[in-house]
Amino acid sequence: MADSVRKVPVEERLFSLVLALLATEQGLTKAEILSTVTGYAARYEQGGDRASLERQFERDKEDLRDLGVPLETVDERGAEGDTKLQRYRIPPSRYQLPDDLEFSAEEYALLTLAAQVWREGSLSTDSRRALTKLQSLGLRIDDDVIGFAPTIRTRDAAYEPLSAAIDRGQQVSFDYLKPGQPSAERRLVSPLALVYHEGRWHLHAHDDRADAARTFLLRRIVSVVESTGSPATHRPGADEPVHVLAELEALWQSTIATVATRPGSEADVVLRNRPGTTDVDGRLAVHATDLDILADELAAFGADVRVIEPAAVRDAVRARWQSVVQAHG
Amino acid sequence: MAERPTPPRATDKLTFLLSLVPYLIDQVRVTVTDAAEHFGISPEQMRKAVTLIAMSGTPGADGTYTHETLFDIDWDDFEQRDLIRFRAAPMDDKPRFSAREAAALLAGLQRVAALPDFAARVDVTALMAKLARGASSAPAPLAVRAGSVDAVHRQLGAAIAEGRRVRIDYVTTRGDRELREVDPIRLDGVDEAWYLRGWCLTREAERTFLLDRIASVELLGAADAHTSDADADELFRSSGADQRVTIALPVVGLPLIADYRGPDDAVRIEGDRALVTLAISHPGILGRIAARLAGGVEVLEPADARTAVAAWARAALDADSA
Repeated sequence: MADSVRKVPVEERLFSLVLALLATEQGLTKAEILSTVTGYAARYEQGGDRASLERQFERDKEDLRDLGVPLETVDERGAEGDTKLQRYRIPPSRYQLPDDLEFSAEEYALLTLAAQVWREGSLSTDSRRALTKLQSLGLRIDDDVIGFAPTIRTRDAAYEPLSAAIDRGQQVSFDYLKPGQPSAERRLVSPLALVYHEGRWHLHAHDDRADAARTFLLRRIVSVVESTGSPATHRPGADEPVHVLAELEALWQSTIATVATRPGSEADVVLRNRPGTTDVDGRLAVHATDLDILADELAAFGADVRVIEPAAVRDAVRARWQSVVQAHG
Repeated sequence: MAERPTPPRATDKLTFLLSLVPYLIDQVRVTVTDAAEHFGISPEQMRKAVTLIAMSGTPGADGTYTHETLFDIDWDDFEQRDLIRFRAAPMDDKPRFSAREAAALLAGLQRVAALPDFAARVDVTALMAKLARGASSAPAPLAVRAGSVDAVHRQLGAAIAEGRRVRIDYVTTRGDRELREVDPIRLDGVDEAWYLRGWCLTREAERTFLLDRIASVELLGAADAHTSDADADELFRSSGADQRVTIALPVVGLPLIADYRGPDDAVRIEGDRALVTLAISHPGILGRIAARLAGGVEVLEPADARTAVAAWARAALDADSA
C-alpha cells in the first residue's frame, strides 16, 4: 500500500483519526487505531518503536481536544482503567454543530468583525480557527457591511500562560507589584477568569495563601508566570467572567475623584473626554477602578490638574511630584 | 505539561479540512476557484486539500480502507473541468467551536456590539447564546467591557459616512490648542483609544489624531477623497520624537513604561535597576513617565532633561499649594 512508502503529513493523520473515531459506534481500541488508521498503520506494520507511536497517539489526542473535538474514552466493562481495553470514539452528536443552529449573513459579518478585535497571540489563533469553522456554513458576506473593528492588544506577557493555566486547571505563582507599592510580592493563585476593563487586562483568581478571591492587573505581574505543578484549588463558575466584569464596572461607577483643571489645557480636554466624566460647577468628577492608578494618571498632567477630593488621592498625587523633585535634586 | 509537539500549522490545516468537507458536500458541485475564494486560499492549495480528502476515509470493518469507505469524488470533473463533486462521503458534519474559540469570538463580540452600524441590526444577546450553544464545552472564562462611543466619535463617524470635511479643536501632547481642518479617512480603535486618520489641510499631510484630545468637532462641506496606505501599527510610531533621554527605574517597573518604548530603545540592567534610553518629543513626556511609576523613575541624562523634569514637578506642587 502507498501508505508504507510515503510520509503522511500530520494533518492527514489527524484527519484520518477524526474520520475513524466519528465512524465507530462502540469505539476503537488503541491497538485497532494504531494498526489501521492512515498515518499510524504503516509505521505499526513496520514494527519498530511501538512506544514512540503510542506517544504520538497521546499527543494527537491532546491536539484534537485542544481543537474542541469531543474525544471520549470508554472503559471496558469489568476492566475499568485498563488502557489496553479502553475504546476511543467521537460521538457525532457532540462533534457537530446543532442542526438548528443558523447564522444570518449579518450575524456572520458581525462575527467576522468580532474576530478582527484580536490581532495577536492565542486569541487571534482561536478566533481565526472559529472563522474557518464558520466558513463550513457557506455563508456569504455583503462586502460593504464590514467595517474596521476596534482592536484589543494582549501585550502583557502574563496573558498567554494565565490563559493556558485556566484552560488546564492549574495553580500558578508570580511576583505582583501592587499599585502604589514600591516592591513586588510573590502570589500563589488558582486563576479563574481574564477580564478586560478600562483598557487593562485583569486576572480574577483565588489567592491560595490569603484563601480569598482577588483581582490582579496583568500589567503589574512582573515575573514569569510559573505553574506550581498542582491543580487549581478553585475552578471558574459558569458566569465568573460576567460577574467579575460587573463588579469592576460597579467599582468604577462608585469610585470618583473630583479635580480642577486649567481651562483649555491638555488635562482639561482629555479628562472631559474620559468615559463617565461629569462637569460639576466647572470641576470634573472622574471615574476610576483603582485610586492609585488614577493618582498615576493625574500626576502625569502636572500643574494643569489639582485634586480636590478625596484627600488620599490628593496626597498620592503630591507624593509622586515630591519624589520626582527629590530624585532630581 | 509536555511541550506541544505538533506545530500549530498542522492543527490549523486540520481545522480547515474538517470545515472544508461539509462545505463541499453542501455545495454539491462547486468550482475550485469558487471554493478557494470562499476560504481565502489559492486554487492550488484547494486542489491539494481536495486531493487529500479524496484519498481519505475510514477503515472498514476489517480494518482496511476500500472504495466503500473512502470519499468518492468525480475524478473526471475534478481533473478535467476543475469541478469538485463528491458522490459519497463518510462524514459531512460541521465541527463545533472549541471552548477557547467560542470565548475569543464572544469577547470580540462584546467589544464590537456597541458599534453604531450593528447595534440596531443584530440581536447580539441572541447571537452570543448561539455561539455558546455551538461550542463543544462551556466557553473559556473571558470577558471584555463593551466599547463606548461618545459624541466626538459619532460626529466623526457621520463625517466619514457622508464624506464631509471637519474642523477639529485639538490639543497636542505639548498642551498647544490648534484648530485643524481635516478630511477624515477612517477611525481606528486600539485598546481604549480611538484614532482619526485623515488628510490634514492645515498641514497638507496625512495625520493621526487621538480622539481623546479633540475638544470639539464641526462638520464642514464636502471632503476630497483620500485613501490611506498607513496600517494600524503606524499609529504608534511617534513622530518628531527626536530627543534621546536616558532614565533609570526599578527592573520590575519596565512593563509599566512599555507604551513609551520603541523597538530599538536600549535597555541595560544594573542590579535591580534598569537603564533605558527613550526617544521623546518633548520634556513633558518625562514627567508623565516619572509620575507613572509612583515617582520611582530618575532621569539620568542629558542634564537639561533632569532640570526640566524637576521644574515640571515643582511647578505642579506650587500650583497645587496655591
